[in-house]
Amino acid sequence: MDAKTIIVAGTFVGIVLIVVTLFTSFQSGWDNNPGGMGMKTESTINLENGSPALGSESAPITIVEFGDYQCESCYYWFHNTRSTIIDNYIETGKAKLVFVDLPFLGRDSITAAQASYCAEDQGKYWEYHTMLYTFQDGAPDSGWANQDRLNSFAFTLEMNMDEFNDCMDSSKYKIRVKANYNEAVKQGAQSTPTFIIISSDGTTKKFAGAQPYSVFAATIESML
Amino acid sequence: MFSSYSYVLLAGIIFVCMLIPLSILSEFLFIEPLFVIHVIEDRAFGFTLLVAISFMSAVVIPMNIYRIRTLQKSTTKIGGSLLGSIIGASAGICSCGPIGFSIISTFGTVAGTATAFLTYYEIPLRLVSLGLLCLVYYTTAKSISIECKIQ
Repeated sequence: MDAKTIIVAGTFVGIVLIVVTLFTSFQSGWDNNPGGMGMKTESTINLENGSPALGSESAPITIVEFGDYQCESCYYWFHNTRSTIIDNYIETGKAKLVFVDLPFLGRDSITAAQASYCAEDQGKYWEYHTMLYTFQDGAPDSGWANQDRLNSFAFTLEMNMDEFNDCMDSSKYKIRVKANYNEAVKQGAQSTPTFIIISSDGTTKKFAGAQPYSVFAATIESML
Repeated sequence: MFSSYSYVLLAGIIFVCMLIPLSILSEFLFIEPLFVIHVIEDRAFGFTLLVAISFMSAVVIPMNIYRIRTLQKSTTKIGGSLLGSIIGASAGICSCGPIGFSIISTFGTVAGTATAFLTYYEIPLRLVSLGLLCLVYYTTAKSISIECKIQ
């Protein structure tokens, strides 16, 4: 094997790796969203099964987060980026945040999502959501979000435990969570967190990953 | 051997071709909607290991190609270096990412456990990978040094 062959082979392998990576990064957009990842399209997102909006209902920008309570990247985004967005865009009335469940990492992801809606029944959705991302600990289905822990989070938030237990036992939000999953997939979300930013004129911008605040600021400012 | 332009170029190609895709898959590098590198404090060590593995792979793989091509030696060591690179590459690929999503959606719970293992044992797996690459580097360098003297 001479030097030229090595260079050609190395370059070929490199190009294949880069193409595979880029294809993997973008395939969700290509497969399910006519506009593709990062492109502007007309909004057709159904948010009626998602979380209550955090922020002003009349805010011109809607940030939709597709997430899983057992996802480590969602945890990093929650703890490193979200609070700055809340300070600069949500509390100032420029944007609102809606969380849509994409529970794919394990069975506890589904029950945690259901528990969040049981908390919503008692007006504590976002407190419970915060509790889940604060106490995320370890691999999916390792027990940190099992039924006992979900109950203990509710107890810590001083929720009515009889009401909470009845809600969980009845699995009344199973269909809602499934509907959110289907909506996320329909929108081309194939990783968590995935974000869709919707402007007041209905155009959207989608991107995936626990991206830094600067990306959100640039995107939101360009759509205001 | 790194005095040869072609091996330096090959090392550079291997380094870039490992670092960029793995940084994207491990969510250290984002290219949409903006090109941005984002390494938070909690994951800085993981990123350092990723750079180290890419660098060691870029050193060790061309050394083994040189050894096989020039000295006509066995391919055992290049197997070790590729194994080290593959372990390092697969560790830390986020189970929340598109690859994890595709695997879990297709293969279910068992695949979920496997991808979670790669995510949550990112640091130990990358340390093992780095150790393996260092070992292959040491044995290959020693081998080249002795075999070149003999020839």
